[in-house]
Amino acid sequence: MPGDLQAVWLTALLAATTTLLLVPIASPLAWWLARSASPARSLIEAVVAMPLVLPPTVLGFYLLIMLNPDSVVGGLWVNLTGDSLTFSFSGLVIASIIYSLPFMVQPLQAAFRAVPESVLEAAATLGASPRDRWLNVVLPMAKRGYLTGCVLTFAHTVGEFGVVLMMGGNIPGETRVLSIAIYEHVETLNYDAAHMLALGLLCFSFLSLWLVYRYAGHRFEVVRG
Amino acid sequence: MSHQLIVEGCLARDRFTLELDLKVDLREALGIMGATGAGKTTLLRVIAGLEPKFFGRVEFCGDVWHDCDRSNRVPTHQRGLGVVFQDGRLLPGRTVESNLAFALQRAPSGDASISYEALLQALDLYHLLTEPAETLSGGERQRAALARALLARPRLLLMDEPLAANDASHRQQLVAHLSGWLRAENIPLIYVSHAANELAQLTQQLVVLEEGAVVAQGPTGALLNAPSPLMKRAAQSMTAVVTAIDPECGTTTLQLVDDHLAVGELALGERVFLQQEAADASDLGASLQPEPEENQD
Repeated sequence: MPGDLQAVWLTALLAATTTLLLVPIASPLAWWLARSASPARSLIEAVVAMPLVLPPTVLGFYLLIMLNPDSVVGGLWVNLTGDSLTFSFSGLVIASIIYSLPFMVQPLQAAFRAVPESVLEAAATLGASPRDRWLNVVLPMAKRGYLTGCVLTFAHTVGEFGVVLMMGGNIPGETRVLSIAIYEHVETLNYDAAHMLALGLLCFSFLSLWLVYRYAGHRFEVVRG
Repeated sequence: MSHQLIVEGCLARDRFTLELDLKVDLREALGIMGATGAGKTTLLRVIAGLEPKFFGRVEFCGDVWHDCDRSNRVPTHQRGLGVVFQDGRLLPGRTVESNLAFALQRAPSGDASISYEALLQALDLYHLLTEPAETLSGGERQRAALARALLARPRLLLMDEPLAANDASHRQQLVAHLSGWLRAENIPLIYVSHAANELAQLTQQLVVLEEGAVVAQGPTGALLNAPSPLMKRAAQSMTAVVTAIDPECGTTTLQLVDDHLAVGELALGERVFLQQEAADASDLGASLQPEPEENQD
């Protein structure tokens, strides 16, 4: 049981870290996707949406190849920190950021698209600089998009399985997250323990989605095209 | 101190090109008139720096705001403007008070000669302060936008049909207040309108635009009274009151309230008979709109 508690804690830490890091990463990207008329936009949109359709094992496989200590990125990380990116918590964070990117970008993109250019023009004529406009006009108007993005990213990261299994394995306190713990309990025929964790996850997922629909319902839309 | 505004250059759109070579001294307020689609709003947008693709030069008071030759552009927020857009453009999700505060917080420091209270009073905004911007009527939005633009203490005030959504009696009062404030604060004004009486009261010089080009420029009074088809096309809107209805003949008599009708040369005091051609009557009927009611906003 202490092992399961550790898994719950590790999962929460992973989901919170991923969400916190994704906010500053996804914001400029979503802003650009919402406002740009560049022909490259649809290309980037497709790349961002890839994790929605790609089997997590495929993503996990390529991340394993890209981030292992013998690769350029993985080697650089080992030189800088002395730690490996594969089979480690830091590696899981990077994988989760990529895996959950569309869940943060798409609600933000929809929220930013709903900010009319005319309102930003009016703010500019009142002396608001681009930064001022972003902080005091765009952000308040997009706060539901941020709520949706954060809840969905957190919940999606909590439910991550395939990518973790490929990239992180099953190291207690390092990469053994909830879904892996459930899988292990089932493998060892410990159904009671699996039940407890599974039911907990079920309730958590329901509550997160209910929160999104309750408070940001009509603003939540998956961006298409 | 120079108050010269120079706008020279062009802006090409899909089906419309604005081509300008305008030099005006804004110590006298400037009116802009022209039919719908003549480029009035686009001209204001060029001056405000909202048309980055404008190919040319904009200069105000000796400051170069836009010069495509030197790829030199002062961004809109540094131009010290007050802009009243036709639709008000209040910031959504904020109350009227918060919209006014947005302007006040970013206004240059110093004593304003128009007090906040006087402004709210004159524009009839007190009871609307806590209302969300989205719930206001068109006229209320415009009055709040007017207050907001004045509170920004601008170097140059640009107004695009700022009173059009208010009813006639309100409009008269607002014009009177506005001209008083502009004199007190000494703010240069560019005022776009279809309403000849507003232009006559607020501006001393007038530019008439047609299809993206200046077709007439001169003192407001002289131009408004000039007997040209140009002015007839530009002065589209007139306010009239129904004074008689004759069910037998099926006619309605209208009395023009505050607009002039520009016609050919006539002797002073001469009585003329105005006849509307049958073909025009249906056109006129289609464009007639009832005056907004007093309690509309």
